Amino acid sequence: MTVTSSEAAKIVRSVLCRGLTFEQADQIIKAMVPGTAEPGTVVMREGERGQGLMVLLEGSAEILKQGRDGGEVPIASVEAPTVLGEMSLITERPHSATVRALTACEFQLLTRSQFDRLIKSESLAAYKVVATLADVIAWRLDRMDEKFAELSRQGGGVAPVEEIAVLKHKLFTEWNL
Amino acid sequence: MPGFEDVNYYFRKAARIMDLSAHVERMLMTPFREVKVDVSITLDNGELGTFIGYRVQHDNSRGPMKGGLRYHPTVDMDEAQGLASLMTWKTAVVNLPFGGAKGGIAVDPASLTPREQERLTRRFVQQIHDIIGPQRDIPAPDVNTNAQVMAWIMDEYSRIHGFSPAVVTGKPVDLFGSKGREEATGRGVVMALEEHLKDAGLGEVRGKTFAVQGFGNVGSWTSRFLHEGGARVVAASDSRGGVHNAEGLDVPALLAHVRATRWIEGFAGGAPLTNEALLLLDVDVLVPAALGGVITEANAAEVRAGIVLEAANAPTTPRADEILHDRGVTVLPDIYVNAGGVTVSYFEWAQNIQQFSWEEERITAELARHMREAYGTLARVASERKVSFRTAAFIVAIGRVGRATVLRGV
Repeated sequence: MTVTSSEAAKIVRSVLCRGLTFEQADQIIKAMVPGTAEPGTVVMREGERGQGLMVLLEGSAEILKQGRDGGEVPIASVEAPTVLGEMSLITERPHSATVRALTACEFQLLTRSQFDRLIKSESLAAYKVVATLADVIAWRLDRMDEKFAELSRQGGGVAPVEEIAVLKHKLFTEWNL
Repeated sequence: MPGFEDVNYYFRKAARIMDLSAHVERMLMTPFREVKVDVSITLDNGELGTFIGYRVQHDNSRGPMKGGLRYHPTVDMDEAQGLASLMTWKTAVVNLPFGGAKGGIAVDPASLTPREQERLTRRFVQQIHDIIGPQRDIPAPDVNTNAQVMAWIMDEYSRIHGFSPAVVTGKPVDLFGSKGREEATGRGVVMALEEHLKDAGLGEVRGKTFAVQGFGNVGSWTSRFLHEGGARVVAASDSRGGVHNAEGLDVPALLAHVRATRWIEGFAGGAPLTNEALLLLDVDVLVPAALGGVITEANAAEVRAGIVLEAANAPTTPRADEILHDRGVTVLPDIYVNAGGVTVSYFEWAQNIQQFSWEEERITAELARHMREAYGTLARVASERKVSFRTAAFIVAIGRVGRATVLRGV
């Protein structure tokens, strides 16, 4: 382990516990368990039941999604510090994508049962974490919207010659700054 | 190190605002040429050492391509692509008649003797001499390469093509180098800040507090110019850690200490401080001048400085950039702030072409002019279009490169 427990707590506080009091954050941190993954190992598998929420402390991982032919298509790569498994935690549905470690990874896991236990006890800390996760999901959705916009525009039926004329006009009028 | 995707995140953001089509985006993003070569040399012990050299030439619509050459084990095509495109936008922001390039050799130069380093450099030039040149692509020093390496490049290239000092910049002052090149980036960093303070009605550098992360060429020269301007540099650090003194560090004494011992560690004029803590100090201006990716979503909310002056390349991750922006922290972006280095490289190239040497006063005055004019454009675009300085810089750069591209014909 290269990440000490105090460093781990600090990372969890900053990525997952924004807006929580020290005591509330402590409640979440105490409910988490540490883990590691060697490069190449799958830490979450698309379609399998979510084990919980993972805070990646160290290392990088790739996100893969099953294509139509059954093969896995990489859709993104993420680097620590970040949060993984947030969708299945909230929707209680199976993991929406596969996460595979690219380098040696260290993480803290908030298991579904621990999370459920906190929610059942009406822990304010757990509800605040859900609010943080909503922020994470909104940010990721935003990135996806951009990607989608890019893909939709690729099909735009403007003829190439016209496209350059449009560009030239735009650059010499509106954007001639 | 920033890969291609990180640079392209900011590029795309600006391109979206300008409503460029996906085809145009791709055309502007795709490198002009990528070269990967074998650089094999005989080591001093008689064994064969094989290394891989890279050169990515991103865009030449505005002129010969320009960019550093680094010797580092992590050099690869992805990194070179990202940094080459960054050079295209950077040279456009400060309006130099250059395009962008970057490259290097995947090697740890500390593992080589000086003779081996010379052979490696000459071999690399032999492998890429037909794609570089004073009117094609002009390398410069970067991570682990210095004026001596540039002198070898100039000599080897000149053996093949005849006397050509302008093939490379950052040469020793005694061998067609330029006065003021060594301190150029640091000087430009301070000029960039002064332009902003003046424009935003925030007064002058004098009396303001600074935390500087990184004490290499850029960090140390920046600290020195800030100190000379009457600023209080309250913290400085290198890769081993830093020092903090709320009254302001004695920068000349710190420079002497680092010259003598190589590290900040052990400097008596302040209390020890970690690199992480330095970023969160309550100062007027935070100057990340070391590695990329130090301000992340994990610490951006805790940055207390009002201004982040990006002396390093890509010190702020895209997510952190948004957090700082939302919190009202002004980020003066790398592609403008640290462009002083390449600007004085341009002056060195111009002097070599003219075969005429400029005095230091002229270098400083011309540098100030480029930084001032660039700031004026950025500030105007940022306020007219209600975007951050970084987005404004990319919009200005894309506009200039785009106009040159369409005028030449696609």
